[in-house]
Amino acid sequence: MQTKAAVLRDIGQEWSVETIELDPPKAGEVLVQMKASGMCHSDEHLVTGDLAGATSPMPLIGGHEGAGIVMEVGPNVTGLEPGDHVVFGFIPACGRCPSCASGHSNLCDVGGEAFPTGRQISDGTARHHTADGEDLGLMCLLGTFAQHTVVHESSCVKIDKDLPLDRACLLGCGVVTGWGSAVYAAEVGPGDFVAVVGAGGIGANAIQGAKLAGARVIAAIDPVEFKRETAMELGATHTYASIAEAMEGLGDSTWGRGFDKVLMTMGVGNGDALGEAFHLGGKRAKIVVTNIHPTVEPSMAVPGAFLTLFEKQIIGSLFGSANIRKDIPQLLELYTQGQLDLDTLVTNTYSLDEINQGFEDMRNGKNIRGVLIYD
Amino acid sequence: MLSLVIDWGVDMKSRAAVLHGIDQEWQVQDIEVDAPKAGEVLVEWKAAGLCHSDEHMVTGDMVPPQEAWPLMGIDDLWPVVGGHEGAGVIAEVGPGVASVAVGDHVSASFVPSCGRCRYCSTGRQNLCDAGAGAFLKGMVTDGTSRHRIADGGPELTLLAKLGTFSQYSCVAESQVIKVDTDLPLEAVALVSCGVATGWGSATNRAAVAPGDTVVVVGIGGIGINAVQGAAMAGARHVIAVDPIEFKREKAMEFGASHTFSSMEEALPQVMEMTEGMMADKVIMTPGVMYGDLMALGTQLAGKGGTIVVTGVAPITQTESSVNLFELAMWNKEIKGTIFGSLNPRADIPKLLNLYRDGQLKLDELITNRYPLAEINDGYQAMRDGTNIRGVVVHS
Repeated sequence: MQTKAAVLRDIGQEWSVETIELDPPKAGEVLVQMKASGMCHSDEHLVTGDLAGATSPMPLIGGHEGAGIVMEVGPNVTGLEPGDHVVFGFIPACGRCPSCASGHSNLCDVGGEAFPTGRQISDGTARHHTADGEDLGLMCLLGTFAQHTVVHESSCVKIDKDLPLDRACLLGCGVVTGWGSAVYAAEVGPGDFVAVVGAGGIGANAIQGAKLAGARVIAAIDPVEFKRETAMELGATHTYASIAEAMEGLGDSTWGRGFDKVLMTMGVGNGDALGEAFHLGGKRAKIVVTNIHPTVEPSMAVPGAFLTLFEKQIIGSLFGSANIRKDIPQLLELYTQGQLDLDTLVTNTYSLDEINQGFEDMRNGKNIRGVLIYD
Repeated sequence: MLSLVIDWGVDMKSRAAVLHGIDQEWQVQDIEVDAPKAGEVLVEWKAAGLCHSDEHMVTGDMVPPQEAWPLMGIDDLWPVVGGHEGAGVIAEVGPGVASVAVGDHVSASFVPSCGRCRYCSTGRQNLCDAGAGAFLKGMVTDGTSRHRIADGGPELTLLAKLGTFSQYSCVAESQVIKVDTDLPLEAVALVSCGVATGWGSATNRAAVAPGDTVVVVGIGGIGINAVQGAAMAGARHVIAVDPIEFKREKAMEFGASHTFSSMEEALPQVMEMTEGMMADKVIMTPGVMYGDLMALGTQLAGKGGTIVVTGVAPITQTESSVNLFELAMWNKEIKGTIFGSLNPRADIPKLLNLYRDGQLKLDELITNRYPLAEINDGYQAMRDGTNIRGVVVHS
């Protein structure tokens, strides 16, 4: 079949919205009609080259935060049928590898191997092709910047049909990543002092997670005033425009003890900022690195002595150390119950044709989250 | 020749509520309190919570059987000054006391925290070895007594070596924790036992996590704070079970999402609201922890669920109704807790800070206040189920 998709051909280029050829699903795969897709900073990392080598070769279809409706299932699909509503997990969960089997499906081995190829898990070939017949790779094996896509069953989480797909799509990446960074990776507990560095699509949800977990103080650090304001709406107790400003405020925010948990959720991580934020942490602080550093960055400016002397811990976290099949449905339940705010997160919506405007707004700090809505 | 004489004899008299045996009323009478020796302080108690553990002395649930006394080194348990939940002001300090000074406001801590034993050293002050010998009349410090019935009467046991139902008592430095003077002492008193125990049962021992379904069985002074802790830890459902309507209403004010009057009533409803998965955490905080309560308590927990036993059981009870097949096959765990598995020195100030921030409700816990002379009315109200917490306010 033919469908429309946003294709990236090289680093530094714009997204090209064009008609593509889509093959039917093979064994274990499903054809999904997309209803909504979040525009996440990781897609922007494809454009800047920060993720070079870690995901699909060009040309590729972007997008990894999506929700839609199953239209057709290939052979051997057991958990889904046409008409099912699904949210994609940006990392598939095979359920069988050592990582999945030990409760860490966010580190699924199958996903890890297939990611850099951008091709289907099932047989390593492409279902998506340009009008000229050139194979297209998929961001995170998904390609949600398209009206239709074919993905493996392992990437799909079935959800109740009464849930709004333009909100549910955010559970595929940003919401769970931020929320889980606070709840699972940092293990925020009642009474904790928490700093969230960067209050975008990830940080906003780290704030929500920290709040629900009972944090006493939540300091949101972001240079953009609009994001600081949104942070307060979502549960922050203090805001600062920079890490340096937050350092000066440590007496006020933590009575000088430093934060118990520091969550790094900036647009792009960098070793110097991490070194600076490291000092926000108090004794035994957990510093969680959720934001993506450029893959070529070789070092971070962390003073090792204080790692030892104050027993600080630096913890990397992918997808908030969460599990798609447990956490996507659970967070949607929390949304239904009013314990998780998804509505405030969506700043602007765009059609697929407006995708470049959406990313321009992200670069300009106008969006907590921009969402593509498909007809 | 002038000589400075320090009189270590009888220093003062104090009014105190004394229990002379099981099933008796509290007698409010004069006791004698000696001056503090090394490592001890004299506290003027300002407020004392009426906790169920004191009532357990009256009913005998917490009284070691007499045949066990010799093994425990007890000559005579009685008479007992009650009260182990309290806050007051330091009136006098003995030699070598460093952490508090005269005039400081303090919270009681019903478990000492020596800061040096194996348990204190590993972050488990609630299990401090200095808590051994809780039923002996001697001080933690040197094993001798500082309290007796007035005019040469028998030496007294102080409940938890605190005796906050006395206007004054002499206690070990390891059992008082300095608190900020801007905090109301009634609030401090509540945190010193019931609040911390309930809150910690949820946040610490059960380790309630965001999204959890939590059942709290028994909504008194402990359970209400388990509700409060579970809500603060981000539980999705906080289900409070209590036969008394007033307590169920209170539970809703403190963060419960649902209430039921019995575990029987709760069971099918919890099944319904969790799509059959049942609760992640069940916290048992009834007035008396009878063993047969565990049958439904464990059933309320789902696969991999945790059942925390906080309520005090009759000391001689040895049976409880747990289906061990289900315990094993569903990988459930049953955990006991004292003081909510918290560390008094770290967590009492922490909870008081949350109170000051408006994140922990304390004032709302107090249903009635009583002068010491009316303490028996307070306990009758507890038995009648009309108090979440009664507080003795010393004059």
